[in-house]
Amino acid sequence: MTEPTKIDVKRRILESNELAAAKLRQGFSATGTLVVNLISSPGSGKTTLLESTIGRLSGLKVAVLEGDIATERDADRIRKLGVPARQILTGGSCHLDARQIQREIVEEGFANADILFIENVGNLICPTAYDLGEDFKIALLSVSEGDDKPFKYPGIFSKAAVTIITKIDLLDYVDFDLEAVEDQIRSLNQRSVILKTSARAGTHLDEWCAFLRSTLEKKRGGAGPLP
Amino acid sequence: MHETSIAASILETAQGLIREQGEGRLESVKVAVGELSAVEPDLLVFAWEALISGTSTPDAALEIEWSPAQTYCPTCNRNLDRARGSWLRLCSKCGDPVVTKGGDELDIVQISFIQEDSNQP
Ligand SMILES: Nc1nc2c(ncn2[C@@H]2O[C@H](COP(=O)(O)OP(=O)(O)OP(=O)(O)O)[C@@H](O)[C@H]2O)c(=O)[nH]1
Ligand SMILES: [Mg+2]
Ligand SMILES: [Zn+2]
Ligand SMILES: [Zn+2]
Repeated sequence: MTEPTKIDVKRRILESNELAAAKLRQGFSATGTLVVNLISSPGSGKTTLLESTIGRLSGLKVAVLEGDIATERDADRIRKLGVPARQILTGGSCHLDARQIQREIVEEGFANADILFIENVGNLICPTAYDLGEDFKIALLSVSEGDDKPFKYPGIFSKAAVTIITKIDLLDYVDFDLEAVEDQIRSLNQRSVILKTSARAGTHLDEWCAFLRSTLEKKRGGAGPLP
Repeated sequence: MHETSIAASILETAQGLIREQGEGRLESVKVAVGELSAVEPDLLVFAWEALISGTSTPDAALEIEWSPAQTYCPTCNRNLDRARGSWLRLCSKCGDPVVTKGGDELDIVQISFIQEDSNQP
């Protein structure tokens, strides 16, 4: 009986996705496009935040890719605001991958945008592992989801350069210890930027948009790691 | 359940690595899965078994090497002990903020296969 051959390797499991993402990143770098990948549970307020962000980014070319398992609903919501948006239907898959982004950005208005928002499929776990060529990931956590989430989903909160705590207009109605959540996030990710917004009340949206504008400037100035 | 796509990527990569060596039957694959990789080892094994049972190497095993993240205190210059799934913000000894490092492994580290002579029937 033949002995098995064993070979030691060091290969990323998602190597082919990571190669595709690197290619995308190169393209975005050439066009000076800031790309963010928004990740959260279903219903944390990703699309609503984008809706209230777009009007505040006047002077910038914005484009949006919407990932969902089914329906054109989110892309329709964005297109109503006069911004190019494409819906990527994953047909059951729980995350977007770099190939799907490659297929969409050949479209006019996407490859040369100033800021490209990618709204991932609503899911706090699976999208974490897939690089989409973004500059950074943003995790959204709404206050109605509970204040134990960063430690329950450490993968995404450790990888996201920015966490946005959303729906803070609801803070009076839910038990959500903001300080405890910030502590958890900082335990996982010491450099994390933490923002707190309410799209409903308009709270801190100017701060969020100023952050986007200054990060775009920083990217174009080639000034070190983002954000 | 992206463990299904992760399992498919492992199989595809392992088969590619064997092809680089000639021909062979996959015996086992060893992968490193980090604590912060967002991949659940139990679910991955489950997905692997479902996938591999329908291939020409239904007995090929998936071995998982668990790779915890490190909690490091720059002031004390040491890694702190902590239970799996628990996290620290401050050093238990000096009280300074700690740094979380690593734990994002999602790598194939070894493949084992039986070489086959393509000239034999
Ligand atoms: N009170 C309050 N409700 C909000 C806020 N932002 C969003 N919502 C509500 O939360 C619900 C979900 O919002 P969406 O923006 O569709 O959430 P999403 O993350 O895009 O959801 P999926 O795409 O399905 O994952 C809607 O009913 C919104 O009106 C907010 O700041 N405050
Ligand atoms: Mg949405
Ligand atoms: Zn999944
Ligand atoms: Zn210490």
